[in-house]
Amino acid sequence: MYASVPSAVLFCAEGHLIHVEVQVSAGLPGFSLVGLPDMSIRESRDRARAAVVSSGLPWPKHKITVNLAPSGDRKAGSGLDLAIAVGVLAASGVISPEAIEGLAFIGELGLDGSLRPVNGVAPMVGAIGERDVVVPIASATEAHVVALGKVRLVANLGELVDALSGDAPWPDHDVVVRPDAVRRPPPDLADVQGQPIARHALEIAAAGGHHTLFIGPPGAGKTMLASRLPGLLPPLERERALEVTMVHSASGIPLPPGGLVCDAPFRAPHHTSSQISLVGGGTQVIRPGEVSIAHGGVLFMDELAEFAPSVLDGLRQPLESRMVQVNRAGIRALLPADFLLVAAMNPCPCGGGAPGACVCGDAILHRYARRVSGPLLDRFDLRVPVHRPAVDDLLTNEPGESSMVVAARVLAARQLAVERQGVLNSALAVARLDDVARLDLGSTALLRHELEHDRLSGRGYHRIRRVARTIADLRGHLESGVDERDVALALRFRATFARSMPTGRAA
Amino acid sequence: MIPGKAFVAALAGFDRMTTNRLSGLLAHRSPQQAFAVATGSCPPPEPFATLFGREPDLAAAWRRCADRRVPETVWQQCIAAGVEVVVAGDDAYPAALLDDPRRPAALFVRGDLGVLDARRVGIVGTRNATQRGRETAARFGYELAEEGVVVVSGLAKGIDGAAHRGALAVEGAHPVAVVGTGPDRAYPAQHAQLWEQVASRGALISEWPPGTAPDAFRFPLRNRILAALVEVLVVIESRERGGSLITAREAAERGVEVFAVPGALQSRAASGTNKLLCDGAAPATETADILMALGLDRRRAGRSRHDPRSLPSTDDRRLIDACRREPRTLESLSLHCGDSLVDTAMAVARLEHSGWLRETAGWFEAIDDWADLA
Repeated sequence: MYASVPSAVLFCAEGHLIHVEVQVSAGLPGFSLVGLPDMSIRESRDRARAAVVSSGLPWPKHKITVNLAPSGDRKAGSGLDLAIAVGVLAASGVISPEAIEGLAFIGELGLDGSLRPVNGVAPMVGAIGERDVVVPIASATEAHVVALGKVRLVANLGELVDALSGDAPWPDHDVVVRPDAVRRPPPDLADVQGQPIARHALEIAAAGGHHTLFIGPPGAGKTMLASRLPGLLPPLERERALEVTMVHSASGIPLPPGGLVCDAPFRAPHHTSSQISLVGGGTQVIRPGEVSIAHGGVLFMDELAEFAPSVLDGLRQPLESRMVQVNRAGIRALLPADFLLVAAMNPCPCGGGAPGACVCGDAILHRYARRVSGPLLDRFDLRVPVHRPAVDDLLTNEPGESSMVVAARVLAARQLAVERQGVLNSALAVARLDDVARLDLGSTALLRHELEHDRLSGRGYHRIRRVARTIADLRGHLESGVDERDVALALRFRATFARSMPTGRAA
Repeated sequence: MIPGKAFVAALAGFDRMTTNRLSGLLAHRSPQQAFAVATGSCPPPEPFATLFGREPDLAAAWRRCADRRVPETVWQQCIAAGVEVVVAGDDAYPAALLDDPRRPAALFVRGDLGVLDARRVGIVGTRNATQRGRETAARFGYELAEEGVVVVSGLAKGIDGAAHRGALAVEGAHPVAVVGTGPDRAYPAQHAQLWEQVASRGALISEWPPGTAPDAFRFPLRNRILAALVEVLVVIESRERGGSLITAREAAERGVEVFAVPGALQSRAASGTNKLLCDGAAPATETADILMALGLDRRRAGRSRHDPRSLPSTDDRRLIDACRREPRTLESLSLHCGDSLVDTAMAVARLEHSGWLRETAGWFEAIDDWADLA
């Protein structure tokens, strides 16, 4: 007897439709699994058999052959357990083949027959098309986001067989929201006391999509500031939200109650993170890295200089192409990685920073400045000096502007930019700068001086103009040029590291 | 025929050689004999017999050094580097050092020690100096040199270098440097050019032979020579535990008058100098203070350098003055002037443009007309 059961496997953040073909035929009792399964799928045999037996159903005493089609691609993950078990039951006549028509199955089996969630149900359900899909109860939100057909929730294999054979109606399970998925409001900018320059920088970063580097001594509030950025970003658009949801589902991050990730994500990987965990990849299972999980949102790298230099250089390509391409023998995967990079570092190892206060030797400073390579540093449009807030600022009870007020300005500025040029200001092409960010006489003089004194590189010059355009947008300045005030403020956002930075490497 | 001084130069570079040991070796003995004693090729007289008995590995170390430091090659090295070896007793040996309780047995000199016959003022300070500190050092160096005073400093980073640059900017000035490495070994490396200038126009003095590396322990020893050479010592900026405080103490022990430049209480770079002031050092706020101590008349020197920068407005002057007292952030400047951040950013951008302010890592410092030398 033969049965073919649709299911799906996860590959990076993409689901792939798989047909689990099962044949139960005469011969010595045995089980063979073909179609390039990996170790976790090979173990399915034992889980499926135990689950079937525990559910009080017969396991055929014949030769069982299972093929995972298309059989040329490597497959991984335990999500095929349920499809294999259902395939065996259908091929051995326990379930009639008509009962499973138009249905797909995703889920891992426990030895007692219970159905367990797996990572990446959203992209997998996306891959099965218009079929109805059977998923574990815990995966309900993920499945609902993308399902075109009905989503059937079952608790265990016995329940499923009863429903399929018509002995009982489809069970009606309540969807339980995982407690860790309840949405917490992002921290509010009103909690930040003082720091007018850094607040301003956050607003500019959010409005123009400019990558931002906070440079300041320990305790100045760099981390606090950075964590306020997601609250300033507008909610994700539907298409972008879907992409983010797929990646989050594939990485096993709990989705919000509505299923769709609508708020800009905020990811803050520790500085000991490996390149694979940051950029994505792996040998057996290719996992999305932090850059992809932060897609559409903010990737915050605290203590930037403590990250391994090779890890940091791995960021350059995703920053440039806004996606990650991971290649392995025979496999190629594209992951989205359009994120806003916010980093924080000390001005020098001792953290002193201020002229005359730093105790670091030259060699140490030199080594420290080299930890973040020039090309990566070049990607930061805003390099914001952060100082310890004044005592009066800390003690004052007067709250600063709240995130809501700032977010409204940010949204307006983003709309201005997109209406004008179709992209955010950070992505402005150099050729278009003269159209949208023309310099007036005063600002030309300012920038000329900086260029002549080697305090500004050619690339830095364009950066300043993009930032100045965002500053102009934020104050609702609609003209095609930016004026001296915008440029003067933009110039404040390219701090260098203490005294270590030779003039040649000036912004 | 190898001159005797070749043996002195070779001995001075031995491992674990100290001023006392070198003086002891050279006392009552010709350099050749001293070399023979140190390398063990003749029986050590007292007190070296006791010393070798107490530290047996010292004798072994010195014997090994003998292979490495062959007098003839060391001598060639000195000649190649243009280094003159001056021992106590030579005519050229600085008179100020002759009566010093810890006088160096030998000096390795590039340039002309004769310049030390003029009036001598030492300018020292921290390597991590602020912009203001370096400017003050350059200004003092320049104005003292204009009065014909020999500026003595250590050619280190920060204050020392600025003082030398200030002095060198005066035509016909003869600055003197006392360094803690071999006289051919520019340290820090970026001061190589400054070293050459000092050596060619004044004198560059070291207690160590050519090729000696910049080991930490040599710098306090260098400080004592500097303190002994000068008539007045000015400390521009110093941390609470800086090397320049060692120089100041050495100077005070030798009866050399110590001046300190007062600084802001909050400024870390001024904590050492402020402490010196508490301990009784005289405050130096302008060059005239120092010249007065030397008994020189300041009235003839009414000249000042021409400042090509455009004069700032009254409002801008407030900003500059605020930054002159201590490094300021944009936030604090905006509070100070009561202007918005954007207006302040605008103002400082203009002032940076016209050369009145300089920004490092978000801190603004005022630039005086000595900035080009600092």
